[in-house]
Amino acid sequence: MGYLFDPDNWAWIGTENNLRFLVEAFLVNLEIAVIAMALALGAGLVLALLSIAGNVVLRRAAKLWVDVFRNLPLIFLILYLALTIPEAVRDFWADNAPGFLPDALRSRLVLAGIGGLVLYNSAVLAEIMRAGILSLDRGQREAAAALGLSYRQQMRFVVLPQGLRRMVPATVSQLITLNKDTTLVSIIAIQEVVRSGRILSQTAGNPFAGGGDVEAPILQVMIFIGLLFVLVNYALSRVSRRLEVREGRRTAARPARVAGVEETVTVA
Amino acid sequence: MFDVLTENLDAFASGLWVTTRLVLASFVVALVLGTVAAALRVSPVQWLRTLGAVYVEIFRNTPLLVLLFISFAGLRRAEVDISAWTAGIASLGVYTSAYVAEALRSGVAAVSRGQIEAGLSLGFSYPSVLRRIVLPQAFRTVIAPLGSITIAMVKNSAIVGASLLALPDLLKEARIVNSNTFQTTESFFWAAVGYLLLTATATVVFRALEGRYAIHR
Amino acid sequence: MSRRRWVPAAAIAMVVALAGAGCGGEDEPSGQQTKQSEQAQKFEAGTTMARIADKGEIRIGVKYDVPPFGFKNPRNDQIEGFDIDFGKAVAQKLGVRPVFVEAISDNRIPFITDGTVDLVLSTMTINKERAQEIGFTDPYFIARGRILTEKGSDIRGVEDLAGKKVCTALGSTYEETLKKEAPRADLRLVDTYSECLELIQNGAVDAVSTDDVILTGMIIQDDSLALVPGDELTVEPYGGGFKKGDTKFAEFLNGVLEEYKSDGRWQRAYDKWLGQYTKEKQQPPDATLEQALQGEVT
Repeated sequence: MGYLFDPDNWAWIGTENNLRFLVEAFLVNLEIAVIAMALALGAGLVLALLSIAGNVVLRRAAKLWVDVFRNLPLIFLILYLALTIPEAVRDFWADNAPGFLPDALRSRLVLAGIGGLVLYNSAVLAEIMRAGILSLDRGQREAAAALGLSYRQQMRFVVLPQGLRRMVPATVSQLITLNKDTTLVSIIAIQEVVRSGRILSQTAGNPFAGGGDVEAPILQVMIFIGLLFVLVNYALSRVSRRLEVREGRRTAARPARVAGVEETVTVA
Repeated sequence: MFDVLTENLDAFASGLWVTTRLVLASFVVALVLGTVAAALRVSPVQWLRTLGAVYVEIFRNTPLLVLLFISFAGLRRAEVDISAWTAGIASLGVYTSAYVAEALRSGVAAVSRGQIEAGLSLGFSYPSVLRRIVLPQAFRTVIAPLGSITIAMVKNSAIVGASLLALPDLLKEARIVNSNTFQTTESFFWAAVGYLLLTATATVVFRALEGRYAIHR
Repeated sequence: MSRRRWVPAAAIAMVVALAGAGCGGEDEPSGQQTKQSEQAQKFEAGTTMARIADKGEIRIGVKYDVPPFGFKNPRNDQIEGFDIDFGKAVAQKLGVRPVFVEAISDNRIPFITDGTVDLVLSTMTINKERAQEIGFTDPYFIARGRILTEKGSDIRGVEDLAGKKVCTALGSTYEETLKKEAPRADLRLVDTYSECLELIQNGAVDAVSTDDVILTGMIIQDDSLALVPGDELTVEPYGGGFKKGDTKFAEFLNGVLEEYKSDGRWQRAYDKWLGQYTKEKQQPPDATLEQALQGEVT
């Protein structure tokens, strides 16, 4: 306990630009999370629609895809992509990445990181969306069909607006998980907050590596990083819960589970 | 395709076994700590409830990778002699326990207030009402969520091997096979089969438990 | 603080490097843009050299965490080391800008085969298995496999590794070597050597085994560590890696290496990155790729 709370072991926060170094790296995590979430929502919607499509082959294929990718470890997907994304794709990204993105997001390896996050989360979100859509009373679609709406129109005007509304709280809680998962890209050498934390603790107090004379013990650095995540994710979980309650009052939705996901999500 | 598996069967099998042990041991930790945290969260004493809530919010909002660094690299630097296995099981267990606690709490909430009051009026103390009446029912209502959490745990266990702890789990062994054979897709394919096997097993086991014991509400 | 020793010379080198960075653009000789097209004509059309000269940059895969060979200073983003200096010499000969990309042991061969990089200079040992996947230059450095422990450890040689926890990098030659030489050692395979350093500093492993130069880098950072005297596990001739079968590029690279060795630049780089810490002297290697592949380098 003495070691943990010893002010000398926390002095690094106020030294040099250490605090800024970590907080800026943490923003990279949040950016990765938001980008991956946006892409995963799009891909997830396509997968969800395919998995309830009329065509049996499409439906089966989409279901298999979703079941495989939501049941594989995310870090597995990231490491595999890091080893196999073709050169042409990496080149294209390195040459065409918008300049306003931070360095970490313009690197050639970030594709494997974001690719893995999207692959995994789109499968999870597709499953959540499918449950959301299927939870709608069958009568709604039948009524729409009776009014002469085509399949496309039934989806566009009746099913999706309601089904997706119910998805909002679930999406926010999945964003919490996604936020935490962004740290995994540190394993493929993308400089986000965990990697920056390791670099900080290895270089602070080490003039050979460009540091000053105050050490930054890895225990304290990692606890600090953990607290950054708790802060942001707790705020998000409050938002998610408030949305759930509101949605619950409107539509009698109640918490349900999507297999293989830690969080309870509200879908039906 | 198959020669990568047959020629490296030892590696894949030992990796699968390491992952399995890691998940089983962490599951026990998660169940015990999760039950305690859930009991705190439904306690009649305000400060115990707060304690339970803080525990849950901290551990489910912190990335597992960060917990692994804290429990292994961090504690070892603080002169705590913790092994990679202990740190891995503790981190995965504590992380998952927050979710177990949340699931159990919703199970407890589903047990009717009347049963608790009946128990109390029969002279049982609050902890024994919890232990004898509420928790047994709560567990049975949350079998499905526990199954879901277990599957998540199988997936999260891969983070332990890929982190500084470097435990030779299924993913790590597949990467070693890859570095020896340069057959990336084949090596990862067989690891994927292993992971899907584990998640499918968990699904089947929990479905069977559910069919047998579940209380649907 | 207590466990680390600061090498004043290194600190000074770092300050100089920082000052250099402050002035900016030292890597880019002026007028480079105009020279590019002339340079492109120097090389036979269709060769890798012509393609690189045309692009104006050569992508080189290096280590970011292996001082003193390839090291990225996280505070100022400078990439430096013995491998980096040689990479700059290659780029200079081509008249292009060097672009350094991090290549960890796990991905450097895929980086070459899929064309992510034109060249890998990342403390990579020449061996037959790798030579089936990629092309190698002649050895540009001979490293020796050694064992690093805490000072005063009871490990005196490779036979003492039985039952001990030993760290090395996943995908490195030491994975194989250790399985052979110390079959009863408990191997910890990690992604980067900085993780091995963390593990031996916090006592989670008893030893690190890899090339002496990498181990020297660890001793520079932490003087409570020491090499186990004598025992040379292996001889590791380092080669530059490139796409298999590109013989014109191989000839070109070997030509650059010959010049680098004979005009004293190799010796200066050795003294700067290694000699000043190890207080040892070493001649540039004169072995050929063939000898390295046959294991005839001593």
